[in-house]
Amino acid sequence: MSEVFFYFFSVLSIVFAAVAVTSQNIIRGGVALLGCFVSLGAVYFTVGAEFLGIVQVIVYGGAIIVLYLFALMTMDLASLKSEPFKAFLVAAGGLLSVVTAFLLLTGGMVLTKDFKPSISGAEDLALPMFFKFLLPFEVVSVLLLIATVGAVAIGRRES
Amino acid sequence: MAPTDFFVLSAFLFGIGIFGLVVRRNVISIFFSLELLLNSANVLLVGFSKLHGNLYGEVFVFFVLAVAAAEAAVGLAIVVALYRLTGSVDTSEFRRLRW
Repeated sequence: MSEVFFYFFSVLSIVFAAVAVTSQNIIRGGVALLGCFVSLGAVYFTVGAEFLGIVQVIVYGGAIIVLYLFALMTMDLASLKSEPFKAFLVAAGGLLSVVTAFLLLTGGMVLTKDFKPSISGAEDLALPMFFKFLLPFEVVSVLLLIATVGAVAIGRRES
Repeated sequence: MAPTDFFVLSAFLFGIGIFGLVVRRNVISIFFSLELLLNSANVLLVGFSKLHGNLYGEVFVFFVLAVAAAEAAVGLAIVVALYRLTGSVDTSEFRRLRW
């Protein structure tokens, strides 16, 4: 049963990602990206990474997308120019994306081992997180502090 | 469920992200594409973590999440500052990177 949900939410996330990237209306693109992230959270749930699914929905869906939409609301959306269709760019982007996707797929096809998803909740993740990866964890907390201070410093109006 | 399914999902997301990165001119849309690239890497990390029965990959996804949040905050601050300066979020308008 979880396989059905895995494929369903995978297809849903790919469709939402395509809408998010190609939509001319930028608010619609942001909401489609939100749908993509929530679908990916559901994908994580179907393979047993439950805590990661929750964090994906909270951080990506709840924080990052809201940050983007909040920044968009400070802009004059009517003045945003619609982008002209440039055949050269579309061809170059299409070629590049097809080549990278093909390389990823050929790299993945060598794996034939089947696996049974095991459930990993917050308790299972805490052990490697706070013992094996304690130093990266602390460094990331400093990085977040620096990013916050930097964002405030850059975004402040000059008096 | 085979590990190749993760590769297919990740490859599609990565391809869509690269496509948006090349084609779009709007900075916010380029950030959307960047988030898609980060998420495709996250999908592969979770997939390998489940394949090998090792939780280190899932811990790495946390770090990727934190870096993505930092990137979004600083990037949006730069975009808002540039919007105040030029009144546009189109990359073709951002020729002047001095004050």
